[in-house]
Amino acid sequence: MDNRKPAKNKLLRRESRTAYLLLIPAIIGLVFITYIPLCAVLGLSLFKWEGVGPMTWNGLNNYVRLFTRDPYFIDSIKVTVLYALLSVAGCMVWSLSIALLLNRKIPARGFFRAVFYLPYVLPAMAVYIGWNWLYEANYGLFNYLLSRIGVTKIMFLGSTQAVIPSLAVIAVWLSGNLIVIFLAGLQNVPRVYHEAAEIDGANSWQRFWHVTMPSMSPIIFYNLLMSLITNMQVVTPALALTNGGPGNASCFMSYLMYIYAFRNSKFSYACAIAFVFFLLIAIFTVILFLTSKSWIFYEGGDER
Amino acid sequence: MKKNTLKSQKRQEKTANTLSFIAVIVLAAFVLLPIWWIFRSSLMNNAELFAWPPSFFPKRWLFSNYTKTLALFPFWKYFKNTMIIIVPSVIGGTVTATMAGYAFARLRFKGKKLLFSLCVGSMLLPTMVTLIPLYIMWSKGLHLVDTFWPLILPYFCGGGAFNIFLIRQFIRSIPRELDEAATIDGAGHIRILTSIIVPAIKPAMIVVALLLFIGIWNDLLQQIIYINSSENFTIAIGLSQFKGSLKSDWSAIMCATCLSFLPGIIFYLIGQRYFVEGIVLTGMKN
Repeated sequence: MDNRKPAKNKLLRRESRTAYLLLIPAIIGLVFITYIPLCAVLGLSLFKWEGVGPMTWNGLNNYVRLFTRDPYFIDSIKVTVLYALLSVAGCMVWSLSIALLLNRKIPARGFFRAVFYLPYVLPAMAVYIGWNWLYEANYGLFNYLLSRIGVTKIMFLGSTQAVIPSLAVIAVWLSGNLIVIFLAGLQNVPRVYHEAAEIDGANSWQRFWHVTMPSMSPIIFYNLLMSLITNMQVVTPALALTNGGPGNASCFMSYLMYIYAFRNSKFSYACAIAFVFFLLIAIFTVILFLTSKSWIFYEGGDER
Repeated sequence: MKKNTLKSQKRQEKTANTLSFIAVIVLAAFVLLPIWWIFRSSLMNNAELFAWPPSFFPKRWLFSNYTKTLALFPFWKYFKNTMIIIVPSVIGGTVTATMAGYAFARLRFKGKKLLFSLCVGSMLLPTMVTLIPLYIMWSKGLHLVDTFWPLILPYFCGGGAFNIFLIRQFIRSIPRELDEAATIDGAGHIRILTSIIVPAIKPAMIVVALLLFIGIWNDLLQQIIYINSSENFTIAIGLSQFKGSLKSDWSAIMCATCLSFLPGIIFYLIGQRYFVEGIVLTGMKN
């Protein structure tokens, strides 16, 4: 930056040229497959267009119709949020508990870690088809296990009340990657903290709440945010397993958008769904960030 | 007195560890049981599948089911198509993410802050939101529907913000003295990237590759949207069609399911060490 040193200036120029060169693919990606499409979603949603023919200006009519006359949309929001809350809560509790167990001195830790991670590497389509058979009402594994303990059959995928919790169980089963992240976080909690707390006479429950949880809070926040975004986008179970049914009990927002756009060619109308979905995610993210200040503990206080 | 409490504490901890071990075994069984059940179903005939009470082990292990299924379910064709998508995407994504990650980690240039925050911001943007405009671009604009291009090319554009971020964080943890020494020796930035940074961040690159692999592997929606003809079916679409056409021949469906599990399991076993290390990295570096 110093004008008196042209040589250094030249070096800097060369440096930034290299940087732009290296960033070309990423910039193309950001422009053409992220931010232009994001604007296009909003733009398209203000028109009426069914894939062919001219677009006609439609103002906010798509949105008005979504919220007042669409028979599926409001329910799809409820179903999506319910599914996301259930599976995020389930995944967090399940993976944090397993990480805590695996963090103790137990034999064959590496083996168990691999076992819990395994479902995550299986292709989603195959997982859902496999679980379709496990959830089969008359001969499936789960109803067999339930019958052994004297519980009557559950129509896991066939009843409107059971389908969302049943799908959330699959999401929990698939959450092995969270376990591994949590486990890494737990191993990073400085031992001295635990030792200090122990000397002060804290029992293991107190140590968990006052030492482990605060040190883990940034990782918990990260996992919470990421799994919320992932689970809100849920579409594969509907595509692979339920077709949105029974009735519309598993008609998720993404699935509804897919049906409108790619089965009925109502592209602009589907864009309105996509944009509402975007706003919903944004609201959830902002809420999470706002509340995070009160419960995330950063080492070194206000340094970050 | 003090010693006694210490001893009892030790004993308490031992009991707690034993209990944890038992809990872990039970939970691991819950994770493995579905996989076993699917596998055991693939080796049974349908009469055995629909028997009550069901048994945990097949009477005879009918590996012939797999030959029968492979006659109806062109697994190898689907596998080939899936690999045609996955291999270039993974390479493209890893290379371009490394390039961008290096620029963000080490180089000074105008607009770096802005670009980086745009990049991080896009991490929070669900792919579902941009799906329709992208489809319109690929179909009406570029006429590339029912080819593999819409599924491959996007990965050559940085490989996703998350992966760029991951690589950047990893490069930042490498001491700068290494590249400064090379600068004195007259190496340019590209040389530093290829001969110093890349060897040092190999684990992170392998992780990015594996994450991309899993992401594409699971991306059923985009495959359904962009692929129409059965010649181009991937494993995921093929499997869903296969199930749709058979309805209740569960033993064949479970064979096809197990076949589809296989590549994932094999890649996982090969890359397991990196996988776990890498996921650890993704969790730590933020």
